[in-house]
Amino acid sequence: MPKITIDGNELEVAEGRTILQALDDAGLLMNGIDIPHYCWHPKLPIDGSCRLCQVEVEGIPKLQIACDTPVRDGMVVHTQNERVKQAREGVMELLLVNHPLDCPICDQAGECKLQDYTYDYGVKASRTKEPRRALKKNVDLGPTIVFDQERCILCRRCVRFCREIPKTGELAIFNRGDHSVIETFPGTPLDNPYSMNVADICPVGALTTKDFRFKIRVWFLEEVPGICTGCSNGCNIHLGVANNKVYRYVPRRNDAVNDTWICDEGRMSYRRIGAPDRLRECAVRDASGRLEPVGLDRAIDAAASRLRRLIDSKGPGVIAGLASAHATNEDLFTFRRFLAALGAETHGVAVVCGEADDLLVKREKAPNAAGAREIGFRDARAVVDRIGSGGIDAVIALGHDALQEGLLSSEEALANLDTVIVLDTHASEFQRVAHVIVPVRHAAEKLGSFVNVARRVQRVVPAVESMGESYSDGEVIAKLGAALGLEGFDGSYDARQVARDLAAANPAFAGIDLDSVGDAGRPLADAAASEAER
Amino acid sequence: MVISDETRSKIEEAISKYPQKRGALLPAIHLVQADCGHVSKECAAELAEIFEILPIQVMEVVSFYNMFFDSPQAKHHVYVCTNLPCSLRGSRSLLSQLESHLGVTAPGATEDGRIFLGHEECLGACGYAPMMRVDDEYHEDLDVEKAKQILDSLGK
Repeated sequence: MPKITIDGNELEVAEGRTILQALDDAGLLMNGIDIPHYCWHPKLPIDGSCRLCQVEVEGIPKLQIACDTPVRDGMVVHTQNERVKQAREGVMELLLVNHPLDCPICDQAGECKLQDYTYDYGVKASRTKEPRRALKKNVDLGPTIVFDQERCILCRRCVRFCREIPKTGELAIFNRGDHSVIETFPGTPLDNPYSMNVADICPVGALTTKDFRFKIRVWFLEEVPGICTGCSNGCNIHLGVANNKVYRYVPRRNDAVNDTWICDEGRMSYRRIGAPDRLRECAVRDASGRLEPVGLDRAIDAAASRLRRLIDSKGPGVIAGLASAHATNEDLFTFRRFLAALGAETHGVAVVCGEADDLLVKREKAPNAAGAREIGFRDARAVVDRIGSGGIDAVIALGHDALQEGLLSSEEALANLDTVIVLDTHASEFQRVAHVIVPVRHAAEKLGSFVNVARRVQRVVPAVESMGESYSDGEVIAKLGAALGLEGFDGSYDARQVARDLAAANPAFAGIDLDSVGDAGRPLADAAASEAER
Repeated sequence: MVISDETRSKIEEAISKYPQKRGALLPAIHLVQADCGHVSKECAAELAEIFEILPIQVMEVVSFYNMFFDSPQAKHHVYVCTNLPCSLRGSRSLLSQLESHLGVTAPGATEDGRIFLGHEECLGACGYAPMMRVDDEYHEDLDVEKAKQILDSLGK
């Protein structure tokens, strides 16, 4: 492998990589060694159009662009000397010749590379007297994206993205030289399932999403690492949080999961967190058949006494557990332990399914189907069949996935049950039949982990606090277990401790806890072994 | 179909001359423009199909070159060279007199759509300055009267 020296640091790099790629592979780019760049993107083909990443390579008279200069053994690169700095200033001045510099009204301000590098390498005053290019502002490119032609620096990231990633190719550069602009083909708007990624990769304020633009200044946002819960791929994201509200999801780079992308549907799923149909308080069905709002203690008491009555009269075999693939491993492990302690053998996990593609979107529309199965939940169909055959009197359901997937209907199957206990984030048809309802937390509101479709354990941390009352599923189940006097339940729930218990009880989770799993996640034991084999 | 069978067979012939299909895109656009007068969005879509690329990639090329048009044009294109040798030989005054003769401002077309008048940089005929290009033909050693006559002789 070639050895190169960059700013005095010796680096061993893979053959055939360019200087920027080698630095990115080593995790040093913009993390110790700063080479400003616009057009280069780690997940897109090299373009070499912005000319900002010029560096000095010993033995080559002219400065070279780091993005497209292949490494060779013994190469000595200088990225920070006066000559390089001057070149960057020159490039910045040219890039700014036609830029409107309308930062105060630009939604990109605060996370704009043009703004950042202007602070680093910009000249103090413009030397041009000529009028700037007057182009179209506010171009409606499609259902998700608005385009400002004047702010565009023609780095072609969006053009390459559309051609290479969703392979829809809606964008292109029209005209030539000073007249170049990004356009769509007449009558073919920018409309694909990944379209909003162009706003993330746009280094300037030219492409912005209709959803997020002008909602809040980005410097007010705290970027909390998390996981998209839209499907079993578990794309890594940052939740943009301010005032206890999630304003957006943006993809967080994880080369093992989603590279730097996220689908539009997943991105927009942040709206489920603060949705008006979130459950806000516990409720118990009273004698007249109405749901009465109560505190958690009364809800637990009501659930426990209903279950105890059934256990005493018919035994625990008439109780079924329906798990949700939206619940964390810690919630599910607690639930599984609860069902085992109770002696309820009928259980399963319902997973909502839908369309998949060959990029990121997976068939199972929940983040933790693999985790639920790993923890021992079978297919929910077995539960549904037993309910249908009349062998079940009580159902404890986490979430309403079974209703959503059409496995169960509140009219037929559930209406005749003696007891329906529901722990859920959002309102559903369960409201009509449930005897006890407890609001629980969304993935953005709790600590826990999911297992994605590639058997990778990934962590979520609380980004916002729930509005109104809410608890982790595991917390409610632990309290219910204690109320029923089950062995091993004292009513307390600590996700960190449960994760350790899970790691001790299940070899697949061996060595994984909520701290060591980190922001990037870790494969399950067997997945790690097969990865190592490869 | 907007592109005629005849043009299509000429395009196929052009493609056969290149190692990669895409190499023949420029000659193909020339052929389509000669046939249809301009490269409409429909033409671009049909070309894209022939070349197995996206219509927008055809339009990228069309918009890149000044000699390709994506909208209907005047019947004849007249370009007066205004580069240095022609300018020294009076091409700028020639151009302004042709402008008033036709009643247009260059670059622009006459109202009846007969002539588009514009200026162009060096066409490599400096020895015969001033010169102008009418469609694909060079007219050299011009004076105002001669140029006016040439324009007047252009058909509708």
